[in-house]
Amino acid sequence: MDNHYCICIGRKFCSGGRNIAAIVADRLGIKVYDRDLLKKASQETGFSEEFFDKADEEKTRKGLRSIFMNHLTGSGLSSNYLSNESIFNMQSDAIRKIHGQEDCVFIGRCADYVLRDSDRLLNVFIAAGTNDRVNRICRHAGEGMTPSKALSLIEDIDRKRASYYNYFTGRIWGDPANYDICLNSSVLGYDKCAGIISALAKERFGI
Amino acid sequence: MSELKTPRELGTEKIGILLIRYAVPAMIAMLASSLYNIVDRAFIGHGVGPMALSGLAVTFPLMNLSAALGSMVGVGSGTMISIKLGQKDNESAQTLLGNSVTLNVLIGIIFGALALIFINPILRLFGATDVTIGYAREYMTIILAGNAFTHLYLGINCILRAAGHPNKAMIATIGTVLLNTFLDYLFIMVFHWGIKGAAIATVISQVLAFTWQCIQLSDKSELIHLQRGTYRLHGDLVRNMLTIGLSPCLMNAAACFVVLLINRGLLKYGSDVAIGAYSIINSIGFMIVMMVMGFNQAMQPIAGYNYGARQFSRVLKVLYLTMFFGTCVTTLGFAIAEFMPDLCIRIFTNDPELTGIARNGMRINFIVFPLIGSQMVIGNFFQSIGMPGKSILMSLSRQLLLLIPFLIILPRFYGINGIWYSLPASDILSVILGFSLLFPQVRKLKRMT
Repeated sequence: MDNHYCICIGRKFCSGGRNIAAIVADRLGIKVYDRDLLKKASQETGFSEEFFDKADEEKTRKGLRSIFMNHLTGSGLSSNYLSNESIFNMQSDAIRKIHGQEDCVFIGRCADYVLRDSDRLLNVFIAAGTNDRVNRICRHAGEGMTPSKALSLIEDIDRKRASYYNYFTGRIWGDPANYDICLNSSVLGYDKCAGIISALAKERFGI
Repeated sequence: MSELKTPRELGTEKIGILLIRYAVPAMIAMLASSLYNIVDRAFIGHGVGPMALSGLAVTFPLMNLSAALGSMVGVGSGTMISIKLGQKDNESAQTLLGNSVTLNVLIGIIFGALALIFINPILRLFGATDVTIGYAREYMTIILAGNAFTHLYLGINCILRAAGHPNKAMIATIGTVLLNTFLDYLFIMVFHWGIKGAAIATVISQVLAFTWQCIQLSDKSELIHLQRGTYRLHGDLVRNMLTIGLSPCLMNAAACFVVLLINRGLLKYGSDVAIGAYSIINSIGFMIVMMVMGFNQAMQPIAGYNYGARQFSRVLKVLYLTMFFGTCVTTLGFAIAEFMPDLCIRIFTNDPELTGIARNGMRINFIVFPLIGSQMVIGNFFQSIGMPGKSILMSLSRQLLLLIPFLIILPRFYGINGIWYSLPASDILSVILGFSLLFPQVRKLKRMT
C-alpha cells in the first residue's frame, strides 16, 4: 500500500488551503481530492452522492440539535447505512483505496487520521490571519457580504470542521502535534507555502 | 455496527426474505428484555401479593432513571468504539472501553448512593403510600446497592454489540433472564424471601452476567479487551461519550416522567391497586411494542441502504411490509387484551380486585392498538431514511407531547378512566400525525421511482 505517497492538508476556512493544494499538486504532477472523494466513495458503494454530501464536514450540525440527530440517525448501535458514521467509514475506505493506487493530495475529510499508519504521508495544516480571511471572503463573495457576516461565517465553518474532525478522530483539529508542518498563508503567501510543502515532500518521499 | 461493508444483498435479495432474516434475531433480543419485567412481576404478584406488585410498580420510574444514565454511557461509548473499530484504531477503542467501565462504576455508585439517601421522598414522589412504601423500599435498597453492577452489565452489553459481538450480547441478555427466572422461583417460592428475593435475584443474575462479560472481554486475542492502564478517565473522551449518549438518556428520563405522572394520577383517582394494575398492562403492552421494534430494527438497514442506492420502489416495499407485520403484531395484542384479558392478567395475579381493575384498564388501553403498529413503523422509517427530525417528533408525540395534556385534563372529567383514556387518545392523534407525515413522503418516493 505504501508505495504511493500522499499529502494531507487540513485548513482553516478561507486560508487558501485549496489554492495551495492545487499549486503543490501541479508542481508534483499529482491529483487533488477534496469533494471528489465523495463522488469516488459513492461510486464504490452504489450510494447516491447526495448522502455523502449531507454528511460532509461542513454540514454537521451543532449543539443540542446535533445531540438528538446523532442519536436518531442511528449512530453506532443500529446498522443504519445512512448514519454519519457509516458514511464516514465508506469515505475512509475510498481514501485508503485512492492512497493505494496513486500519489495525491487530500484536502480535509480526516485523511491524516484515516491514513495514520502509512509512512509515506505528509501532514500539513494551513492557517491564516483572521483579517486576511475576512477580506478574502468579502472580495470573493461580492454584494451583500459584510465583514461581520464574513467573520461569523468563518467561525461557523471552522467550528463545524473542528467538531467533524474531533468527533471522528478523537484528536484536536488544528493541534500542531497532529501535523508535520503548520503554515500561515497570510505571512508566507500561497506560492511560498506551496513551495515549502512540495520541497518537503520531495525530500521526504525521495522524488 | 459490525458490518461496515454495505452488503449488496440489501439491494438485490427479495424484501420479504431480508426482512424476516433481519427480524428474527432482533425480535428474540427484544422479547428477552421484555420478559425480564414480566417474570419479576409474575413471581412478585403470585408469590408475595398484589400490594407488593404495586410497591414494585412505584420503583419503576427510579429504575428507568438509572437505566437512562446507564444507556448514556453505554450508547456513547458503544458509538465511539464502533467508529474507532471501523478505522482499525484498536488502541483508542481499548481506552474507550476502560473509560466506560470507570464511568459506569462512578455513575452507578453515585446514583445508587444518592437514591439510597433520599429513598423515602423519592418513592413518595413516584406514588408510594404507607401501604406500598415498605415493599418498594425493601426492593429498591437491594437494587440500588447493586446499581454499579447494573450499569456495568448494561454498558458492556452495548459495547459487545458495537464491537461486532451481537450474539454475545444476546447470550448475556437471555442468560440474565433465565437466571433471574430460576432465582426468582428459588428465593420467592421456595425460600419465601418476599419481594427482597426478587431484588437479590436481579442483582445476582446481573453480577454473574457481568462476570461472564468480563471473561469474554479478557481474551487478549480479541480486538478490544479489558486492559490495565485504560481505566484512568480522559476528560475529552468522557465529554464525547456523554454528549453522544445524552439523547437516549433524555428519552428514557422522559419515559420515566410519564410513568410518574400516570402512577400519581392512578393514586389520586384510584388506589394503590390501580398502580399495580397499570404495571401489569404496561408489561404486556411493552412486550408487544418490543416485538414491533424487532421488525423496526430489521427494516432500518434495508430501507436505509435502498434509499441510499436510490431504489425507491424497494424502500416502499419494505416500508409496507414492515407496517403489515407491525400491524399484525399489535392486532394480536389487541385481540388478546379485548377478548381474553384474564389470560394475561392471570400470569401476574389471582387477586379479584386487581384483576378487575387491570381488565378494565387493559381493554381501554389496547382499544386502538391495531393502529399503533404502523405508527411505530413510520417513526422508525423516517429515522432509517435519514430524517431524524420527523422520527423524533413521532416518538415524542405518542409518549410525551400528546400524552401529558391528556393525562392532566381527562382524569378531571372521567376520574381513573380518564387516565386509561389518555393512552389511546394520544395514540390516535399520533397515528394521524404519522400518516400525515408519511403521505407526502410516499408520494415523493413514488415520483422519484
